[in-house]
Amino acid sequence: MSGDPEFEELVNRYYRDLYRFGFSLTGNEADACDLTQETFFVWARKHHQLKNPANAKAWLFTTLHREFLKICRRQKRFVDESAEEAIENAPEVSPDCVNRIDSRTLLRFLAELDEDHRAALVLYYMEDLAYKEIAEVLGIPLGTVQSRIARAKIQLLRRLSEPSAAAGAK
Amino acid sequence: MNTSEAKKILLLYRGPVDDADPQFAEALAEARRDPELAQWLRDQRNCYDAIRSKLRDVEPPRELASKIVGTRPIPFHRDLNRILQLAAAIIISAASTAVSMKFWEQKHHRIAQEQEITVRGEILDMTCYIANNLSGPDHAECARVCIRNGLPAGIKTQDGKVYLLTGEPGHSVNAELADYAAKVVTIKGRQTVRDGFAQLQVEEIQKL
Repeated sequence: MSGDPEFEELVNRYYRDLYRFGFSLTGNEADACDLTQETFFVWARKHHQLKNPANAKAWLFTTLHREFLKICRRQKRFVDESAEEAIENAPEVSPDCVNRIDSRTLLRFLAELDEDHRAALVLYYMEDLAYKEIAEVLGIPLGTVQSRIARAKIQLLRRLSEPSAAAGAK
Repeated sequence: MNTSEAKKILLLYRGPVDDADPQFAEALAEARRDPELAQWLRDQRNCYDAIRSKLRDVEPPRELASKIVGTRPIPFHRDLNRILQLAAAIIISAASTAVSMKFWEQKHHRIAQEQEITVRGEILDMTCYIANNLSGPDHAECARVCIRNGLPAGIKTQDGKVYLLTGEPGHSVNAELADYAAKVVTIKGRQTVRDGFAQLQVEEIQKL
């Protein structure tokens, strides 16, 4: 097959970030690879619909998230706690708490979150997207994005502050 | 704004990426005035950076990028106009050749040389092959769709010769050929050469 330098450049620019996003959502390599690959397949078929090429990154993340939602099953729900209450009870977590755990444990903690909250939190941490862009990627209002991130972040911080976290135990 | 209110807002503050976001401006100003809040914010930022760094430690498999590039589907829609133009050009060229030949035949009472031959080779979607040199298993799905949709089909033999495949006059063989797109088959048919352009009127298809 003949090469397409534009496509290759796009892949090389974004596949790592998309893979990490996919890995954080699914928790396993095979699914993350499939999601990343499917995202670029969708791009190859439909990117002509993208009116502004500058939005390619957000478009790719939106697509990956949609593909993820197609395959995921809702397993866990958040306890119905308002963002206000969650923030009031936010734990103090030092960077040392985070540094003591490995990436695998952190991903396991992320996997405990509801997938909608997980997606918002991963984009918050991993990508330099403004909140408005995260809202566009996930297709939800700005306020909802921020409340999801706040709740998810606090749940993650609580998990990190548990004594067992450093040992990587549940 | 008191410290507690500022903390609620700054819980989402990540650093420079959020500096242009006006929702943080007042709380950041408060942090500049309040040393305790400033320290809390530094801890939050450090914690954010540590988590971000751990998440970004995840590396994809080495071969993932080449796998994506190597197996991408053909962006058919983007080049649809070009493909249609090329298809039209091929059809017009073939039609004008046929008309010229008919005229020539009538004028000279001769028909183009016909010869029954059997060739073995890969079934091509001529439009993508001529326009973009696309063929082979990676291009099979696109070729199948193109041929099924009526675009010209061809066969490339092992010695590199390419024939335009046709059916009997008034009969398309695209439906039969589509299932063999990008596959190696043996075709028996009647060869004609018009203005140096080789055509094969399909009589029998055998898959290897």
